[in-house]
Amino acid sequence: MTTIPFAQRTYSRSKGQQDTFGDFTCLHCGRLVQSHELLSGVRNRNHCPHCLSSRHLDLYAAGDRLAACKGRMQPVALTLKHDGNKYRRNSGELMLVHICDECGKLSINRIAADDDNERILRVFAASQRLDPDTQAALTHAGITPLEAWQKELVQRRLWGGR
Amino acid sequence: MSTTKTISAQLRGVITQKNNGAFTVSTPTGSRNCPLTARLRRESGGELAVGDEVSVDAAGQIDALLPRRNWISRRSAAPMPGAHTHEQLIAANLDQVVPVFAAANPRLAWHLLDRYLVSAESAEIPALVVITKFDLAAGRPEADEIEQVAAEYRALGYPVLLTSTLDGSGLEAFRAALHGKRSLLVGKSGVGKTSLLNALEPGLGLRVQATNAVTGKGRHTTTAATLLPLTAGGAVIDTPGIREFGLWDVDGADLAWFFPEMRPHLDRCRFGLDCRHAEEPGCAVRKAVTDGLISPYRYQSYLKLRYDP
Ligand SMILES: Nc1nc2c(ncn2[C@@H]2O[C@H](COP(=O)(O)OP(=O)(O)OP(=O)(O)O)[C@@H](O)[C@H]2O)c(=O)[nH]1
Ligand SMILES: [Mg+2]
Ligand SMILES: [Zn+2]
Ligand SMILES: [Zn+2]
Ligand SMILES: [Zn+2]
Repeated sequence: MTTIPFAQRTYSRSKGQQDTFGDFTCLHCGRLVQSHELLSGVRNRNHCPHCLSSRHLDLYAAGDRLAACKGRMQPVALTLKHDGNKYRRNSGELMLVHICDECGKLSINRIAADDDNERILRVFAASQRLDPDTQAALTHAGITPLEAWQKELVQRRLWGGR
Repeated sequence: MSTTKTISAQLRGVITQKNNGAFTVSTPTGSRNCPLTARLRRESGGELAVGDEVSVDAAGQIDALLPRRNWISRRSAAPMPGAHTHEQLIAANLDQVVPVFAAANPRLAWHLLDRYLVSAESAEIPALVVITKFDLAAGRPEADEIEQVAAEYRALGYPVLLTSTLDGSGLEAFRAALHGKRSLLVGKSGVGKTSLLNALEPGLGLRVQATNAVTGKGRHTTTAATLLPLTAGGAVIDTPGIREFGLWDVDGADLAWFFPEMRPHLDRCRFGLDCRHAEEPGCAVRKAVTDGLISPYRYQSYLKLRYDP
């Protein structure tokens, strides 16, 4: 990946570019996505609850909308948010790991209340046979994907309380 | 009509200030306050600006506007959402536009700088960026950021001066950059536009006022655009602080051209001139951003201006 020679600026996004974009149609599956916090349970919905795809819009921080890539980000694995910014096994919030189709950027995202749980399970199943490139990218980023033996934990997190 | 005869009786001058329908005109025989002739008022809609060259008739009225070599205008602030906006002329016949920002008090907003620069590019007037109150940032992390971002703008071809009227830094460079030119100072209230001029020409003694101690906002001290001659040659137009600077008459399709660093990429987009450089696949501008050739902040300014000029 290229390094960016530009200084990171202290800045706040101006009005009209807030975190919620209102309801929108998913570019990938074509279904309507409602942005309301009551439905998603999260402040910034960053992926489609139906197909779980998202877009590469952020560069330095969640919500900065500074990325020019705008590629499709596909869910590739599940992980646990341990604390701060460490992602380790066993404890912590269940998170979706996305990877950008265009540039390979990884991002870790909270699961929303109305995300399709069956679909999340399918991501989990598929993540047991990751291609070597994705595997290497995850390792490089220090992200530990959940493994087959943790299936029960995944189900518990998705259906049975926290 | 004996046009030639009247012209010989006419006096030429430059508008140095606009005040309630009349104009202060600087002529070879001194400054005077002149209304417009009824005919000119009808024809021009009263739209004359500081820096305009005019002729004054024997009755002391402005009777003609000479052709402008360039001008800067902005979109008037809409009195209410959805209301009509119109062109608001700021000044005419300029050698450079000088966007002024404070390092702090009020807080530096880089994205506003891009608005001014696009406006200057579209008017084909060179820009000189001035950051004031650098003393307030010195020794703090903000100073590094300002130095780095200043270097990025310099790399685009825009000179950037870091100044302080408190410790005098950057003022000699500022003086040199204004020498022999007619410069337009623009920026938010309280950034220190007038203070810069007072520091340059102590004789001016123009009114300045401290910014709000809590919000850092200015108090709209300067109330009319005024052209001030510099003793060393050249002139500066001081302007009242501007809250919003909406682009006027900049076509969305041309916008990317006014970001000089985007120009080399514009003919390489897959959709050619139809590319808005927003979502289009095969967009060479977006690629240049992801490749680190164009600042993501400048690109975001482009998108913002495209949808909210
Ligand atoms: N610390 C510091 N304060 C400055 C500097 N330059 C100006 N100020 C202060 O900033 C305040 C506002 O300055 P003005 O020159 O009135 O600002 P302006 O841009 O002309 O404001 P408007 O006329 O309202 O548009 C004054 O209190 C100045 O003393 C500087 O270099 N350093
Ligand atoms: Mg002032
Ligand atoms: Zn979808
Ligand atoms: Zn990407
Ligand atoms: Zn393009």
